[in-house]
Amino acid sequence: MALTTDPRAPAPTEEHDSSLVVPPTPGIVIADSAPNPEDELLQSFGMEEHPQGGFHGLLEVIPTRADLVIDLIRANSLWPLLSGLSCCAIEMMSTATSKNDIDRFGMFPFRASPRQADVLIVAGTLTTKMAGPLVRLWEQMPEPKWCVAMGTCTTSGGRFKRSYSVVQGVDRVMPVDVYVPGCPPRPEGLIYGMLKLRELVMARRGEWRTYVDRGPQRLAWEGDVR
Amino acid sequence: MRLLTERFPDVAQDLWTGEDTVEIQVPRDRIVETLQTMRDDPEFAFWMLADAAAVDYGIGQHFEVVYHLYSELHPAWLRIRVRVERADPRTPSVTGLWVGAMFHEREMYDMMGIVFEGNRDLRRIYMSPDYRSFPQRKDFLLPDDAADSSAAGVNPLERPETWDLTNFSRELTSSAATYPPIDAVRDVPPEAYPEAGESADKSRPA
Amino acid sequence: MTATDHETRIPDPIDLDRAEEARLRAAAGLALPITAQGSEYAGFELVGVPDRPLQTEREREMYTLEEGEMLVNMGPQHPSTHGVLRLVIKIRGEVVTDLDPIFGYLHRGIEKLCENATYTTALTYVDPMDYLSSMHNEHAPAIAFEKLYGIRAPRRAEYIRALVVELNRVFSHGLMIGFLALDMGGITPILYAFINRDDVVELLASISGQRMLFNFFRVGGVNWDTNDEFLSRLGKWHTTVMKTVTDNERLITENEIFKGRTKGMGKLTADQAIAYGVTGPNLRASGVPFDVRKAHPYSIYNELEFDVITHSSGDVYARYLQRIAELKQSLHLIDQIMDKMPHGPVQAQVPGIIRPRPGRAYGAVESPRGLYSVYAISDGGPNPFRFRMRDPSFISLQVVPVLMPGHLIADTMAIMASFDPVMGGVDK
Repeated sequence: MALTTDPRAPAPTEEHDSSLVVPPTPGIVIADSAPNPEDELLQSFGMEEHPQGGFHGLLEVIPTRADLVIDLIRANSLWPLLSGLSCCAIEMMSTATSKNDIDRFGMFPFRASPRQADVLIVAGTLTTKMAGPLVRLWEQMPEPKWCVAMGTCTTSGGRFKRSYSVVQGVDRVMPVDVYVPGCPPRPEGLIYGMLKLRELVMARRGEWRTYVDRGPQRLAWEGDVR
Repeated sequence: MRLLTERFPDVAQDLWTGEDTVEIQVPRDRIVETLQTMRDDPEFAFWMLADAAAVDYGIGQHFEVVYHLYSELHPAWLRIRVRVERADPRTPSVTGLWVGAMFHEREMYDMMGIVFEGNRDLRRIYMSPDYRSFPQRKDFLLPDDAADSSAAGVNPLERPETWDLTNFSRELTSSAATYPPIDAVRDVPPEAYPEAGESADKSRPA
Repeated sequence: MTATDHETRIPDPIDLDRAEEARLRAAAGLALPITAQGSEYAGFELVGVPDRPLQTEREREMYTLEEGEMLVNMGPQHPSTHGVLRLVIKIRGEVVTDLDPIFGYLHRGIEKLCENATYTTALTYVDPMDYLSSMHNEHAPAIAFEKLYGIRAPRRAEYIRALVVELNRVFSHGLMIGFLALDMGGITPILYAFINRDDVVELLASISGQRMLFNFFRVGGVNWDTNDEFLSRLGKWHTTVMKTVTDNERLITENEIFKGRTKGMGKLTADQAIAYGVTGPNLRASGVPFDVRKAHPYSIYNELEFDVITHSSGDVYARYLQRIAELKQSLHLIDQIMDKMPHGPVQAQVPGIIRPRPGRAYGAVESPRGLYSVYAISDGGPNPFRFRMRDPSFISLQVVPVLMPGHLIADTMAIMASFDPVMGGVDK
């Protein structure tokens, strides 16, 4: 029912950008970058610079297990952003309430502020006027973040194909991890989609690292045909 | 019902009685006083403006603004149609009578381009403020209508008889080079569209 | 700045034919993005006075700030559940002095799309307009198309129509109660409302196949007849609904906090309501006894017994009580309908693609938000020539800027929720 990562997306690119050089500060360890060889703290642990970056030696065991724990934590408490646009929002609310409860998956708090949310469930038709605010919301969300396109309007424009003001699929403006078809999808369908998202999160296969910003083509075109 | 609307012999140009609707046509300059009489006169007492709609009758044809009124004294809806010319899409606003016509008129302006004189807030309501077309006009074509438009067949790709399947290396967009950029549309004389044939202002084919 | 700059603007005479032609040529050849590119209104307009020139008198009035005033944007995404509505409020301290609702964030161009669709397909396009009352959305065009085509639906079909329409009204009003409480911070009523809604919506799914956006009405009747599952669910639901509704109601109606926040708030007088075109429970809560089901009876409403309920104070509390009363009235109507339901066919013999004679028709129904009407013009072909829908939420939003000044920001949402706007209907 729900699809996972888009096979058309390009392969993940190398994250380390050598143009962003953070001057080494003694005593401060940045876990993602290569450790500073002059760091006294690291020298006291006996850590030299590892050719692949990251730690090695004693601390290497802990981050590996920590990754798994962090993934578990993230997957089991994905906080959605309240971004219900249209009819699918009612079904999303129905999924959140007592009968079909996604609180049991940890997704109870629908945060109003994008700064506190993990998942953007785009529920409802995205129009060209709303595309701007929605992309702004997406950009305000801190990483890691995932996007679920709920309903056919967000998957591909849906029943409003060839409308002059509907964006034909939200993946034209932002990277989508899970597509949940339906008009609107039943709450069980949305729950299935969220479970697929949990699998994605556990396997670290999100889209937001691999999305290529296509520049001014991000917003939708009038009379778009696809 | 017919008896009552005959009080406006000079104004009501066309009377039609349907199952539960009575329809009259009113010229543009008399519409406000007609509606005011309908609202205030105790014999009519059409106190509620149910709907204000705009209709486009086709490319090159006129618009119509249609008002629906309700009264408890009469068992039928009253439909008042006002003809608005396409070349001069202006009509007086009824927001002086019913303030609730404001959004109706804004929508009619946004979708059809009919300007309501006297409306204090005539700006776009659905589309972005810098949108440049009027979507519900008949000459605003959705991609579904592309085959009906006057631009159909301009690109050789739309004409199967020009396809040369034996030669795959031909430049498919060679004719694109003659198209002027979109923003310069108004300044481009018709001669720049060599393949348009007749003038661009054709009625929509039936 | 001369007087001519910002007065009522007549748009520049753009030769749309040539513009459209060029656009289509480009779309066929090069596909350049057109409208949204370079639009400063790509949604990134910051809070505050817009940096484009103010176009209208009302905009100037709204966006001119006096001493101590401030503009706050309650943007298209907000915790309120009505949908994508943007309110720019002008506040002085905590008190609202002016308000500008900006919408169009959900405008899908349904009217234009319906002009390319057959009449039956057009009936399916209207569902997602006012998505909480989809049956009413479909009922009005069905009436208009039947007038154009010149047929009537069979009696059993009319009874089934009235039944599903009243069921829709039940859960729509129940949701309004929940949303009103949620917008004021109460979380329990919305959960109860959604339990109620889930029950009704599963009931409607057993007759129409869909939980929401039921594609149920056809020109000439309805799609499916009642089946055993529907009837047994209806019976079971009927025994429990009154308790669910009264449970929810008891949480709120006599609640001191609720009463303190809603009584006297957002008072809408009858004259204001009539001038602004407000209809439905909002109008009846201000004392005007106008109900389309009594004023222009459609379907089988002249065979059913019910009264037009009104309340005299037009405040938020009255609108809330009005909806509760109408909800209970709908339950009585459902009783009567189930008692009187005749046997017979549920759809008239109508061809798949109908081609009515050229003409105009107006069909109006009473939706949970007010007068919902459709004005349809036919030109003899398979597609409607003009299909115009008048949505009640759209018109009700006009009165909000009038009621809001003088209240506090926290009351904004209460007043907005009491009008129960659904942005799908507002934006079409």
